Amino acid sequence: MTKQIAAFTVNGAEREAIIEPHMLLIDVLRDQFALTGTKYACGTGDCGACTVLLDGKPSLSCLILAVTAIGKSILTIEGLAEGPELHPLQQSFVDEGAIQCGFCTPGMILSAKSLLDENPDPSLDEIRHALAGNLCRCTGYVAIFNAVQAAAAAMKTDSTGTEARP
Amino acid sequence: MHRVLLPFEFAEPTTVRGALALIDGEKTRALAGGVDLVLRMRLRQVLPEKVVSLQKLPHLDYVRADDLGLAFGALASLRQLEASRAVREGWPLLAEAIGSIGSVQVKVQGTGVGNLCVGTPASDVAPALYALGARVRLTGLADEREIPIEEFFLDVGKTAVRPHELVTEIVVPRPPAGSGAAFMKLAKTSEDIAKVNVAVMVSVGDGAYADVSIALGSVAPTPLRAVEAESLLRMAPVGEAAGVGNPAGAAAANRVSPALEATGNPVSPGLEAAAQAAAQAAVPISDVRSTASYRKEMVRVLVKDALARATARALAGRSDVQAPGGVS
Ligand SMILES: Cc1cc2nc3c(=O)[nH]c(=O)nc-3n(C[C@H](O)[C@H](O)[C@H](O)COP(=O)(O)OP(=O)(O)OC[C@H]3O[C@@H](n4cnc5c(N)ncnc54)[C@H](O)[C@@H]3O)c2cc1C
Ligand code: FES
Ligand code: FES
Repeated sequence: MTKQIAAFTVNGAEREAIIEPHMLLIDVLRDQFALTGTKYACGTGDCGACTVLLDGKPSLSCLILAVTAIGKSILTIEGLAEGPELHPLQQSFVDEGAIQCGFCTPGMILSAKSLLDENPDPSLDEIRHALAGNLCRCTGYVAIFNAVQAAAAAMKTDSTGTEARP
Repeated sequence: MHRVLLPFEFAEPTTVRGALALIDGEKTRALAGGVDLVLRMRLRQVLPEKVVSLQKLPHLDYVRADDLGLAFGALASLRQLEASRAVREGWPLLAEAIGSIGSVQVKVQGTGVGNLCVGTPASDVAPALYALGARVRLTGLADEREIPIEEFFLDVGKTAVRPHELVTEIVVPRPPAGSGAAFMKLAKTSEDIAKVNVAVMVSVGDGAYADVSIALGSVAPTPLRAVEAESLLRMAPVGEAAGVGNPAGAAAANRVSPALEATGNPVSPGLEAAAQAAAQAAVPISDVRSTASYRKEMVRVLVKDALARATARALAGRSDVQAPGGVS
């Protein structure tokens, strides 16, 4: 098997690309699908900037052969907002000042999303553990943890449909 | 570090037999999670002509426990193992060791078996499995064999896996009643691999150590058991030996050395002697992470602390570890 036309499910849509087995998922996402929200930094698994969700689980696209992602559901940062409406995590990262240069943000938000999908009400410690594989050079993390907590609270209010009022 | 991989042939067999037929030697590599393999290919340390993905092999991602023991398949991820209730309750040492790996992504993608098959003495999973007396099941085209984990690690990067062979399962006996265990690791940062890691398990009965296992990582070409140290402690009285007769000792269940020593808790002669013997068993190298002599000294400190913690856990009858963050 060398070159093939492969169908990927990216952000809910079917996308086709011509790939070879040695191509990395991050390159297919960025170069063929122009989804440049997924960042490349270390290439060694250390930083988490390249994190995408594969079948809902945070995965390092710099260490994944694209060919092994065929048939899995891939979520990148571009798939989070609904039209002009930001995902609660994106909004809270903006509101809490959890974004400085922004390079870590896509991976950080996707790791946080996977956490909140499994555990809608995480403790600070659980948030820290969930984000341990994502490095940020700028913020010092505190604002990021605050943003995840704020998003968790916002999503809870959302899902009950009513805002908690005193 | 290279941005792209060099081309290779790729296969994704759907039966173990199919995979075994394809894995024919040095130029072919099995791919489980790919965390290590893809990284080494980028570093050009490994340049396979053929990569055989195991990801489509059915029924290999299990983690199963019964009265006798724990078994997990070649595709069980580190995350699955760490989050498994059965593992946390029955084999907390394994959960604690995996819990020391920081990155969730690495644990989601990486398999427990892949971690072992890398053959690095710095594995955090290996010492826990050494201390627990795990066995490795290998499946070949013609036969199946099961070997103790000590015989699986041969040298840095070298394991007992032969051509046309795969590790299909790891089997871990259930720790005896009344046992306690502890894993401890020293690393540059919580993301880095270990400078030294130790896993110990003790079982206590009638005020004495009935059994002791002490495993060391990162201090020799393979993980190893500190057998001399183990036999020094076997049958030795527990009470004072572990400093558990006093409140400071009881608190040792969750404490590390500086705090332990700061309480003025007498360092027990038994644990100290065992820790020194363990340091003697270590034959570390000097590298960017530490000098050999520092590693040896840290083996002594970590073994002593781990033994105190394991003993306190055995006596307290609690050895469960907390669920990893975010796992419900
Ligand atoms: C950023 C980072 C941090 C890390 N931190 C730690 C840490 O703190 N502690 C720690 O212990 N590890 C750590 N690791 C290592 C990581 O745990 C391993 O690389 C991973 O578990 C390997 O599993 P895998 O399934 O991805 O293996 P792969 O990369 O797929 O395979 C690894 C090797 O094993 C062979 N192989 C795989 N499965 C089999 C099989 N069934 N039979 C025969 N051969 C097989 C492959 O051919 C390959 O040579 C870290 C890695 C990274 C990138
Ligand atoms: S770019 Fe993938 S982990 Fe850093
Ligand atoms: S905001 Fe710059 S790396 Fe995190």
